[in-house]
Amino acid sequence: MRRILVVFLCLLPFTAVGQIIVDKPLSDRLTGYDIDVTFDPEAHTVTGLMTAWWVNNSSMPVGEAMMHMYLNAFSSNQSTFASRGRWSAAGDDGWGWVKILSMKDGRGNDLSDSCSYVSPDDGNRNDKTVLRISLPEPVAPGDTLVLTIDFASKLPSPIQRTGYEDDFHFVAQWFPKFGVYETAGMRQREADGWNCHQFHPNSEFYSNHSVYNVSVIMPSEFVTGSGGRLIEEIDLGEDHKKVIWRAEDIVDFAWTAWPGYKVRTRKWNNVDITFLTSETGLSKAENHLDAVVYALEYLGERVGPYPWPHLTFVDPPLSGSGAGGMEYTTLFTTMGGGAVPSFLRMPEMVTIHEFGHAYFMGILASNEFEEPWLDEGVNSYWEQRIVDHYYGAGYGLLKLPFLKMSDTDQGRMSYITSPSRTIATNDLPSWMYPHGTYSMMSYNKTATWLHTLEGIIGTETMDNVFREYYHRWAFHHPSGRDFIAAVNDVVRSEHGDRFGENMNWFFDEVLYGSGECDYRVSGITSNKIRSYSGVVDGDSVSYARGDRKSDTLYLSRVSIERLGDVRLPVEVLVRFDNGEEVLETWDGKATYRDFEYTGARRVVWAKLDPYDKIDMDVNRINNSFTLDPAHTVARRMLNKYMLLMQMIISIFTL
Amino acid sequence: MSIFKTLKNGAAAAASSYKLILFVWITILVLVMAVGFPLRSFLNAMFGNSLVVERLNNGFDIGLAGDFGKPFGALMAAASAGTLLAGTAGFFIMTFFAGGFFRRYSLAWGGLKVSDFLRASAGNFIPFLKIALLMMLITGAYTFIIVGIPGIVAMMVSGSQLPTGKVLYLFYVLWALGMPVWLFVADASRRWIAATGSRKVLRALGAGFRAMKERFWLSYGTVLAVLVINTAAVLAIFWFAGNATPDRSLAVFLFFAATQLLFILRLFMKAWRYASVCEAVK
Ligand SMILES: [Zn+2]
Repeated sequence: MRRILVVFLCLLPFTAVGQIIVDKPLSDRLTGYDIDVTFDPEAHTVTGLMTAWWVNNSSMPVGEAMMHMYLNAFSSNQSTFASRGRWSAAGDDGWGWVKILSMKDGRGNDLSDSCSYVSPDDGNRNDKTVLRISLPEPVAPGDTLVLTIDFASKLPSPIQRTGYEDDFHFVAQWFPKFGVYETAGMRQREADGWNCHQFHPNSEFYSNHSVYNVSVIMPSEFVTGSGGRLIEEIDLGEDHKKVIWRAEDIVDFAWTAWPGYKVRTRKWNNVDITFLTSETGLSKAENHLDAVVYALEYLGERVGPYPWPHLTFVDPPLSGSGAGGMEYTTLFTTMGGGAVPSFLRMPEMVTIHEFGHAYFMGILASNEFEEPWLDEGVNSYWEQRIVDHYYGAGYGLLKLPFLKMSDTDQGRMSYITSPSRTIATNDLPSWMYPHGTYSMMSYNKTATWLHTLEGIIGTETMDNVFREYYHRWAFHHPSGRDFIAAVNDVVRSEHGDRFGENMNWFFDEVLYGSGECDYRVSGITSNKIRSYSGVVDGDSVSYARGDRKSDTLYLSRVSIERLGDVRLPVEVLVRFDNGEEVLETWDGKATYRDFEYTGARRVVWAKLDPYDKIDMDVNRINNSFTLDPAHTVARRMLNKYMLLMQMIISIFTL
Repeated sequence: MSIFKTLKNGAAAAASSYKLILFVWITILVLVMAVGFPLRSFLNAMFGNSLVVERLNNGFDIGLAGDFGKPFGALMAAASAGTLLAGTAGFFIMTFFAGGFFRRYSLAWGGLKVSDFLRASAGNFIPFLKIALLMMLITGAYTFIIVGIPGIVAMMVSGSQLPTGKVLYLFYVLWALGMPVWLFVADASRRWIAATGSRKVLRALGAGFRAMKERFWLSYGTVLAVLVINTAAVLAIFWFAGNATPDRSLAVFLFFAATQLLFILRLFMKAWRYASVCEAVK
């Protein structure tokens, strides 16, 4: 093992050529990082040397480089992250930062004086999270820029994704990291250029798939985990060790160190799963491992293979819970520990969600800054499907004898109960969502309309859409438009023009529009058709009808209304008193529609969207109407309530 | 007298006072109906002509709460307020009727007319209320010391949110074993008031403790036995009512009848404890 590594170190900086973990490169590997650092848990610093390289795959020379300096988001209360996210250091020791002590290019040019901080998103001069480097010589097409950087990083406290609490350390966003150089046409971009955003409180990240060789010297008592595969742990004596990791084709590299970690492992197919948790979290270890296996299995079957042979995930201790619920592809953090009762699948849900990000922005590396719906929303949709599939349709999240909730409904509820649900479209950059609507919109509204899309085109087609999306875009950078193109192509090939020329109309409503969807059955009437009576040419004429029952004809009418702006095709199930049922379809475009039936049968009830395809509908109560409302449920609830009261009274008195 | 005999005599006394038990049942039923019926109308208005109630047949689907929107919040607020109101009123009513029950069971063998029962209830109400409040304080403090403090200590020691140590179960058992003592003292002191006609609460409590000391194992065993049976019955009632989902009109009516029979049984068991303690003190 060690020899292989030495060979690799000699090959620097072109280690991407070789393979240690996966059989052949999964991505273009336009960037890579070799990092050798020392971790000081007392000072909460990580210092050392990094060699970073970037390949210019455009057709034009590039004269500047952009790097993320994310720990600087924690360097003052005036950074965009701290001021908008109300983060503040816990005492003078709590600030976090990253400093470049020296920087040279491959030819030995000192670039220290060529660096300046820029704030492309908001112009905030106090924000130092994006570094612009003017290169003395442009990087020619096909050439590689190699930067050798001496750097020091100080972790922040309190932890927000990254940071420390006592001896617990979660080390993320910790080194200078390239932005993504996008070429014209990529993600519908007009001209070549760097895509490198500031660190925002609500935003996540965007990076190239890279190769990482990381070595960290630290006190031996620390138990560690990372997004890489452990290559070697060398005992350096004097209670210190050197941990060496390598990761291939992942978009970010994070690691954690804490003396208190307990480790559990499991093997699933060829994937070695490592779970780090605290003593108190051990009671839920099996649940977490089961959950991650469920997610691996489900996404592997329906989207595409998980290509790495390793996966590490962490349930941080209570003190480090600020690091929980975050994803770094082959490393992720969950939450929830031992305190959550087993009828509530919250910890499993978080595990499944964070693992899902290995696909939705790990493999399909969309831009989380600019299109958060494409990772958070798509991933929430899959999380909900997985949770409700494995833990029970209708009660995936919560299951008690008298109380239940599905994960899908949990997400939908956040959307339909938000009074701000119509103030913004769903395609905004993460930091542009107004009035605190970021999570409701990018997670829950998106997941809700993806369930609706599944309802319309069918589960099988939906799965094929994602297989195609994976096939086209795995280890590249897809945009929302690219996803929609995959939807259009698959729907067209499987359903022809059943839903129109393409599905753009759907995305115009739900993604690029801000309206809401609400259809209702406004009423049912059922009247006898009366014989003619009236005046004809001055004479009063009436035709008597026989009074035999079979002669009695009824005109029944089911009235449907569209109350929202969103127009979707809907189904209506109509039931008659003779037991017959008719399923009607309506394109849902007009503001109302009446279905009329003449005959001896009378309409008893009508259910709009009877198979729950339109999750977008913000009110399901008005989706059905019956002429014979049964009050048994209310009566039963009353009986239970009364008994409960009686028991309480009798128990709590002497 | 043996524990078994005491329990038997207590049960016989409780059974012979069935009219009083039914009277208490009717009173409590009227009380909970007064709160429950408006809530039912509220529910019916919320459901309207919708078939969505079908979704509530297997437990309440929280996912629907959002669809109901603001009325759901209003319903919850009304239900909480109603529950609090009925709970408080129920506490006073039960405390009131305890006065009649203890009068009935402290008398020599013989019946008690409902009017006498009410008169005795009214006469004993104030000292009984004092005893009830005092015992609430005492058992509250007792619970805090036996269960609360170890729980807090365990929480601080392990650093977790929930104490899971097996040691804590020991404290729960200890707590449960101590409870019959307090209940016996409460019952015996109330019997003393009902029998002597005195209104002196502290003397009554003294008499209760003395009675406990005089025949400790009989007193303790009697109440413990009643409590164990009571707890089992309460759990069974909750299990039954929690899981039952009658959905047809007749079934719902039968369910109502069953729940009320179970509550009458529950009242009978309470009376049984009162009567058994009175037997044990005799
Ligand atoms: Zn997420």
